[in-house]
Amino acid sequence: MPNPPARTPDASPAAVDVRGLVKHYGSVEALRGVDVRVEQGEMFALLGPNGAGKTTLFSILATLRTPTSGSALVLGRDVVAERDAIRREMGIVFQEPAIEQRLSGRDNLFLMGLLYGLTIAGARKRASEVLEQLGISDLADRRAQQLSGGQRRKLELARALVADPRILFLDEATLGLDVDARRTFWGQVRSLADAGRTVFFTTHYMEEADVADRIALIDFGVIVALGTPRELKARLGGGIVSLTTDDNLRARAWLSEHGFEPEPGGQEIMLLHADPAAVLPELLRNLPVRVERAEVHVPSLADVFLKLTGRGLEGGSKP
Amino acid sequence: MIRGIVAVVILDLKRFWVDRVRLVVGLAQPLLYLFVLGAGIGASSRMGGGDYRRFIFPGTMGLSLLFSATFAAITIVFDRQIGFFKAVLVAPIPRPAIALGKIIAGAIQSIVQGMVLLPFAPLAGASLGPLQTVEMIGAMALAALTFSTMGVAIACRFNSTTVFPVASNAVLMPMFFLSGGLYPLKVAPHWMQVAAHFDPVAYAVDLMRGVVLGEFFFPVALSLGALALTMVLLVSASVRVFNRGEDDSSLGASRLGWRR
Ligand SMILES: Nc1ncnc2c1ncn2[C@@H]1O[C@H](COP(=O)(O)OP(=O)(O)OP(=O)(O)O)[C@@H](O)[C@H]1O
Ligand SMILES: [Mg+2]
Repeated sequence: MPNPPARTPDASPAAVDVRGLVKHYGSVEALRGVDVRVEQGEMFALLGPNGAGKTTLFSILATLRTPTSGSALVLGRDVVAERDAIRREMGIVFQEPAIEQRLSGRDNLFLMGLLYGLTIAGARKRASEVLEQLGISDLADRRAQQLSGGQRRKLELARALVADPRILFLDEATLGLDVDARRTFWGQVRSLADAGRTVFFTTHYMEEADVADRIALIDFGVIVALGTPRELKARLGGGIVSLTTDDNLRARAWLSEHGFEPEPGGQEIMLLHADPAAVLPELLRNLPVRVERAEVHVPSLADVFLKLTGRGLEGGSKP
Repeated sequence: MIRGIVAVVILDLKRFWVDRVRLVVGLAQPLLYLFVLGAGIGASSRMGGGDYRRFIFPGTMGLSLLFSATFAAITIVFDRQIGFFKAVLVAPIPRPAIALGKIIAGAIQSIVQGMVLLPFAPLAGASLGPLQTVEMIGAMALAALTFSTMGVAIACRFNSTTVFPVASNAVLMPMFFLSGGLYPLKVAPHWMQVAAHFDPVAYAVDLMRGVVLGEFFFPVALSLGALALTMVLLVSASVRVFNRGEDDSSLGASRLGWRR
C-alpha cells in the first residue's frame, strides 16, 4: 500500500522542514517566524499554551492553510505547491472530532480508504486491519456517536492510519481523555513511531511531550526552546539531590572537599547538580557516612516553560 | 478523479441511508400541497379540484425534488462545522471531485425522494402510461441534477447551519412560486412570465408538466438548454469555490456566515 513517491527530490529529506514561517490572520500574528526541522522516524512534540500557534503551524503542515510567508516542506515537498503529492503520505488527527458520528467506525475507515484511492475490497480489508491493529475491532460496528470519548479518539487515530501514512500529524489528539486513556493512546503512538513512522504532535500537557524524542516549546508564535526532554530540563541547571544521613556534618564536609556545593542549612542536605540522577550512585558509593534517605528531583517541562517565559503553561498566550 | 467522486457519493449515500426516515417525512410537504392546498385552491378556481390536483402534481414533484436536493447539500455546511470535512479535505482527491461527488449524491437523494412521491400520481388524477412514466423519470432526473447543483452552489458559500437554511429558503421559495408550479404561467401577469424565463425551477416543472398534461409553456428544447446552462454555470461556480487555495479549511466560506 505505501505508494512509492512519484519523484524524490532528495534521497532522504527531512520529515518536516520549516523556515521563517509567518502566518497572519488579519491583524493577528499567529506565527512570527518559525524554524523547525524534524527528521524522519522522529517523534516530535510541539508544546505550548492556548493560542500559542500550535494548530496554525499544524494546519499549514497538514496543507489546510497557506503561510503568509516563509516555507514549509513535508518529506521534501512544499506544502503549498505540492500539496497533492504529500497528502497521500500524511495521516492527520485534528483537534476537533473528524469522524462521521452517525456511521460506524468501520464505515468511517472504509470511506477514508476510498478517499485515499483504495478499491472497495481493498478499503474494507484495510479498515479491518487497522481496527485489529489498534485493538478496537469489537467496537467497530457501533455508530461512532455511541462510543466513549477515549474510544472515539482511538477511532480518529485509526482513521489517520488507514492510508498507511509515512508521517502522522496529531493536534491535541488526547483532548478530553483521562490519564489512563492518555497513557494507552501515547503507548500506541510511541509504538507507531518505533516502527519507523514520523510523528509530529502538538499538546499542552507536559507528560505527553515527555514521550517525544524532541520537543519544541512554542509561545506567541515563536519557538522559544527546542531539544530532547532531557536537554530542555538541563537548561534549568539540572536538578536537586537531597540526602539524609546519620552524620550530616561529616557528609557536608566530605562533599565540600570533593567539589560539591551543598546548600547551607536544613534537615536534609540539598545539592544542585547538572545531572542529579547520574551523580547519586557515585555519592552513595563514596560518602563516608550511612545514607538513610536519598531523593532526586528532576525539573518538569512545566518548570522549564515557566523559566523560559516567566508564565505557567496553563496561562495561555495572547499576542 | 472518478474514484474521488465515487468515494464522496458513497459517503453521502451511506449517511442518507442512516436517515432514510427522511424519505417518509419528506413526503408530508408535497402531499400537503397536493391534497390540502390543492383541494382548497382547486375548489375555488376555474379548473375545479380534480383538474387542479392533476395540474399541480408536477409542481409538487418539483417542490419535493427541490427541497430534498437542497437538504442534501446542507451536509456541506454541517460537515464543515463538525470538522468531518477536514478529513475529506486532506485526502488526496482533487477539489472538483468533492464538488461533483456532492452534486451527484444530492441528485440521487433527490430522485429517490421523487420516486417515493411518484406512486401518488394516480391519486392526484395524473395516471401515467409506461412511456410517460419513463419520460417523467427522465425529467425528474434532470430536475434533480439541476436542483442539486443549485443546492451545492449555495451551500458551499456558507459555514453556518443556522444561516444556510434561512438563506436558501429566501432564494428557493421565490424560485418555486415563480416557477408556475401552483398556477398556469400562461395566465400569470406579464412580469411573472418574464421572471419565469430566468427561473430554472420553472423549466424543470414545465418539462414534468408537459409529460403529465401534454402541453408545454416553454419549448422543450429551450427548457433542456436552460437546465443544461444552469448546471454548467453552477458546477463551475462551485468548483471554483471548492478550489480556492487560501485557507482550505474554510473553503472560502467565511465570506458569508461566521468564522470558526
Ligand atoms: N481562523 C482564525 N482567524 C483569526 N485568528 C485566528 C484564527 N485561528 C487562530 N487564530 C488566532 O491565532 C492564534 C494562534 O491560534 P492557534 O489555534 O494556532 O493556537 P493553539 O496553539 O493551537 O491554541 P490551543 O492550545 O488553544 O489549541 C490565536 O491568537 C488565535 O486567536
Ligand atoms: Mg490548537
